[in-house]
Amino acid sequence: MMAPLFDTIAAGTVASGGIALTIGIAFGWTLERAGLGSARKLAGQFYLTDLTVVKVMFTAIITAALGVFWLGWWGVLDVSRVYVPETFVIPQIVGGLVFGAGFAAAGLCPGTSCVAAASGRRDGMLVVGGLFAGVLAMGFALKPLASFYRSTPLGARTIPAQFHISYGSAILALVLIGLGVFAGAERVERSHRAVHA
Amino acid sequence: MTSERLVAAEARPYAEPYVAGVGLGVVLLAAFVLVGRGLGASGAFARVAASAAAFGDSTRVARNAYFTGYVQSGSIMSDWLVIELAGVFIGGALSAWFAGRLRADTERGPRTSARLRLAVAFAGGSVMGAGAVIARGCTSGQALTGGAMLSVGSWCFMLAAFAGAYAVAPFLRRLWT
Amino acid sequence: MTTRRTFAITALTLGAAAPLAQTPFRRHEASIDVDELSRAIELGDDHIDAVDLAEWIQERREGLRVIDLRSDGQFAAGHIPTAENISIDALSGIAPRRGETLVLYSEGGAHAGQAWVLLKALGHERVYFLRAGLFEWEEEVMSPTLATDATDDERRVFERSEKVSQYFGGEPQRDVPRSTRALTTRELRRRGC
Repeated sequence: MMAPLFDTIAAGTVASGGIALTIGIAFGWTLERAGLGSARKLAGQFYLTDLTVVKVMFTAIITAALGVFWLGWWGVLDVSRVYVPETFVIPQIVGGLVFGAGFAAAGLCPGTSCVAAASGRRDGMLVVGGLFAGVLAMGFALKPLASFYRSTPLGARTIPAQFHISYGSAILALVLIGLGVFAGAERVERSHRAVHA
Repeated sequence: MTSERLVAAEARPYAEPYVAGVGLGVVLLAAFVLVGRGLGASGAFARVAASAAAFGDSTRVARNAYFTGYVQSGSIMSDWLVIELAGVFIGGALSAWFAGRLRADTERGPRTSARLRLAVAFAGGSVMGAGAVIARGCTSGQALTGGAMLSVGSWCFMLAAFAGAYAVAPFLRRLWT
Repeated sequence: MTTRRTFAITALTLGAAAPLAQTPFRRHEASIDVDELSRAIELGDDHIDAVDLAEWIQERREGLRVIDLRSDGQFAAGHIPTAENISIDALSGIAPRRGETLVLYSEGGAHAGQAWVLLKALGHERVYFLRAGLFEWEEEVMSPTLATDATDDERRVFERSEKVSQYFGGEPQRDVPRSTRALTTRELRRRGC
C-alpha cells in the first residue's frame, strides 16, 4: 500500500479525524517540550539571546524534507500526491512581513499561541483572541484587495522547478544552508552568553 | 518573583532544540505520509472564524468569497485542521502538565505590566491574523509544511516573516527586555 | 558522540546522497521496442473503429477499459458510455492487468495515438485507440448516415453502425442525399492524406 494513505482513509471519516487529533496532540506536545509555548523564549529569537525558534523550525523542515525525499525515492510515499501550497509571490511576501511584525509584538505564532493558552498563559489566550479578530477583519476586507490577493500566482511551484535544479540538489542545498544557520546560531548564542556571563 | 523562581526550579527543563526539531519533523512527516498534507494553524482559525461569523450574519459570510471557501461542506481540509488544532491544545496542555509548567500567569518582559502585555498580545495577534490571511498560512502551514515541500511561496513567506519581525523588534525592546 | 554531531552527520549524508538519487518521484520503467510497435502500426493492430468499440461495450467484453484522455470539463460535457477520464500524465498510474483491453480516445485522436505508444512502452499488451477520436464515435455510432445512392459496401458499413447506434440512443439516418451529406472520417481516410 502506498502512502499517502488518504485515499483509503477517506476525508471526513472517524479515522481521518483520529489521525488529525493524534498529529495535533503530537505537534502541541513537541512545541511545548521545546519551550515554544513561552512568549519570552520565542521573543529571544528577535533579540538574538535565544535562537531556539530557528533551530527547531529548520531542524523540523530538514527532517521532514529528507523524509519526504527518501521515502519517495524508496517507493513508500507517492510524493506527487502530497499537497504543496500554492505560491502567490507578492501576497506571501507582504503577508509574511505583516505576520512577522505581529509575531514580534505577540511573541507567539498561531500554533504556539494555542500551546501557551493551553498551558494557562493569559497572554497566549489573548493572542488567540487577536488572531480570530485579525482573520475575521482581513477576511471581510479582502474583497477590495481581491486582485492583489490573487496576484503573481505560480501554482504549486517548488524550488527545484523554479531554479531548474534537481530535487536532490535542492535538498542538499537545504541541508547545507540549515547547518550553516545552526552554526551561526550557536556562535551568536555563545557570544551573547559570554557578554552576559 | 520568588514564587516564580520556585515554580521554575520544579519544572522540567526544556528539551534540546535539535531533538525537538527532529520530533516536530517526524510529526510533520507522519502527516504527509498518512494524509498527504501537512500541519496548519491559521487555516483552522479561518474556519472557526468563518463559522462564527456565519452564525452571526450568514448572508454576509455567504457573500464573502474568502470565508465561503471555508464554510462550504466540501472544504474537509479545513475541518481536518480544526480537529488538528484542538489536538495542539490538548498536546500542549498535557506536556505542560507533565512538565510542571501548567500555571495561570502572563508571560511578559521584566519592564512590562501584565495589562500592557495582554493588550499588545491581542494587537499582535490581530496583525498576525491579517498577515496569515494574505499569505494563506502561518509558520505551521507555510513555513513548516510548505518549507519542507520546497514551495517557493512558502520560503518567500518564511524569509519575509523573519525580516518583518527583525525589522519591528528593535522598536519593541521595552516589551521584552 | 553528541546528539548534535549525530544529527549533523546524518543530515549531511542523506543530503549529499540526494543529488545522486536526483528525484523522489516515482520512476516508471518503460521501454519501446520500435520494431514491434512500428509493425503493429503498419498492420493496423494499434487501432479499432468506433463501431468495433461500440460492439465491445454492448457485448460487455471482459477486461475492457475505455479511456477518455480529454480534460474533466470536456468529459463532463459528454463522453462515450463506460469511459474513464484519465489524463495523459496520469497514464503511468495504470497498472497493467492480465486480460485487460484498453481503448483510448481523445477529441480528434492525436493524443490517443501518443497515449497508445506510452501505454505499450509501459507494458500493456492489448491497447487500441480511435483514430478520429470522439468525432468517429459521433459519426459512426451516434449519427451514421446512408446516402441514397449508396454502394453495397457502404450499405454494409451502415447496417453495422445502425445496429449499435440504436443501443446507444443514436439516430441513424437512411436516404440522405449525397450532396448534403458530409464525408465521414472513414471515407476521408480511404481517400488518403
